[in-house]
Amino acid sequence: MKKVRGMRVIEYLLTVLVIVTLNFALPRAMPGDPFLVLSDVEEEAAVLTEEQRQYYFELYGLDRPMHKQYLSYLGDLLRGDLGHSIYYNESVTTIILRRLPWTLFLVISTVILRTIIGSLLGSISAWCRGNFFDQFLFFNLITISEIPAFITGLLILFVFSAMLGLFPLAGAMSHFTTYSNWWDKLLDILHHAFLPIVTLTLARLGGIYLLARNSVVSVIQKDYLLTAQAKGLSKGRILLWHILRNAMLPIVTRTFLSLGSLVGGAILVENVFNYPGLGLLMQEAVNVHDYTLIQGIFLVVALFVLIANLMADLIYKHFDPRIESNEEATA
Amino acid sequence: MELHLKIKSAINAFKKFSLSGKLGLILILLILLMAIFAPWLSPHPHQRSSGSALIPPDSEHILGTDDLGIDLWAQITNGARISLLVGFGTALLAAVGGGIMGIVAAYKGGLIDKILMRLIDIMMVMPDLPVMILLAAFFGPSLFNIILVLAIFSWIRPARIVRSQVLMLKEQSYIKSAESYGAKSWYLIRKHFLPEVSPLLAVSIIRLSSRAIVAEAGLSFLGLGDPTSRSWGLIIHHALNFQGIYYTSFWRWWLLYPWLALTILTVSLAFIGRDLERIVDPRLGN
Repeated sequence: MKKVRGMRVIEYLLTVLVIVTLNFALPRAMPGDPFLVLSDVEEEAAVLTEEQRQYYFELYGLDRPMHKQYLSYLGDLLRGDLGHSIYYNESVTTIILRRLPWTLFLVISTVILRTIIGSLLGSISAWCRGNFFDQFLFFNLITISEIPAFITGLLILFVFSAMLGLFPLAGAMSHFTTYSNWWDKLLDILHHAFLPIVTLTLARLGGIYLLARNSVVSVIQKDYLLTAQAKGLSKGRILLWHILRNAMLPIVTRTFLSLGSLVGGAILVENVFNYPGLGLLMQEAVNVHDYTLIQGIFLVVALFVLIANLMADLIYKHFDPRIESNEEATA
Repeated sequence: MELHLKIKSAINAFKKFSLSGKLGLILILLILLMAIFAPWLSPHPHQRSSGSALIPPDSEHILGTDDLGIDLWAQITNGARISLLVGFGTALLAAVGGGIMGIVAAYKGGLIDKILMRLIDIMMVMPDLPVMILLAAFFGPSLFNIILVLAIFSWIRPARIVRSQVLMLKEQSYIKSAESYGAKSWYLIRKHFLPEVSPLLAVSIIRLSSRAIVAEAGLSFLGLGDPTSRSWGLIIHHALNFQGIYYTSFWRWWLLYPWLALTILTVSLAFIGRDLERIVDPRLGN
């Protein structure tokens, strides 16, 4: 057991190394000169003299041998230094830290909501398996979950913001307002975050729903449920205490495992709602060719996803030692 | 006779699909036709302006025009080409590449197999969208690069399927006897392994192309599509980047129609994919 777990951790460390190396190698593998790209932002290639070029090369340490550059890059990363954004003229770490809370807010709210709603709907569906309500839920939730979140998001934005005007079209808070108290501020934040969270939750509901439905269906046929019913326990109590508790493990694992695709969805959905998190920042960085910033965001997001996956792995193995190391992971 | 049988088996295959799957197949067929006949479907060019900017749908421009005066219907018919090209291109590349890797790894075994398995493990936990954004941003968003980037994240499934299939086949006695008669690797691969794995690969190609189409839509929605050949995602991206589009009525055609096209495409693909999985692997059924 211990050995298997160690192997998994090593595998993840290897992946982190691949990602970091990719981040280091990509700009250096790009055709052309970094300073050509730098000066090309204004659409006119500024010509550097040989002396200036030399100066910049030394300034950015590009004259040093590759392995030294790599080591100093790793050192910078360990100190939390992600470089300097050319466009915003600010440290990349500062910019990311300013935007990160919004993305985390979206992702965490979605995780909580979808887990609760998904398991509830799944149990209800399993409880009245085969009837119209079950089939209705099943078909719709699975179909929605196969449509990318940003497409559903656009529809929600069309209807509720653009046509009905019920929700704001962009941003995370209203501009130029002073809040009389924290309650107003909270309401404003929730008002802005509501549609993005609903979109992400809807798009991600299918997986949890299906999982809950399947586990409840399999538990329902067990003998101890008959006992519980014979004892005269209420339906709600049986559902909560006897069924959902047993379905919890796969749901928790699934939640961690799906954080990766959830973050991917959040990147796109933020762009639909103009929500100022990391996803919108990434698109802005792509638009202005701010490569250091793109790399920084990439690294933060990738590490976040990897940590979530590792946690899912470890939790699963911890609670269910029957799982073999090479079991087929379902995407 | 041959053709007659083929049509019959195609009809039989169609019958196996559920109602939603049939709907999906018909819609995909329509989109396919739209892609093939794109230049003849629209009287206006899809790359040049053909009227004033931002006119609402009328008899001249049935879906209106965008901010450069380019006809939207022309862009949408042409966008169907891009989506399908990216989808099938990626799937083909991934299936061929992954298939070859799977066969070689399983057949040769040893170190090659170990390296491939480690690589697959690493790719499985790699967050795909962020890496794709990074690669597309650095290598420049040409159509070929997009296909390449998508294929990098798609070859894992075919490689695994093929590898496990070949591992199983390798132990069969007819392969063993072919080997003992002096069959070379290439002969075995061509005569025995490929025919056995190709039906599996064909199904995974359909699944892979639908994933690639969705991924391309996401990338180009972020502005990472090939600017010279506008896909549906890229039209949406440009419309969304139009300052204050929701305060005007422009979004009612400029955003709505490409969105509708993309929605129809992804929903049909989802329907078909679900049915395919059920037909190929009846254990999953519900």
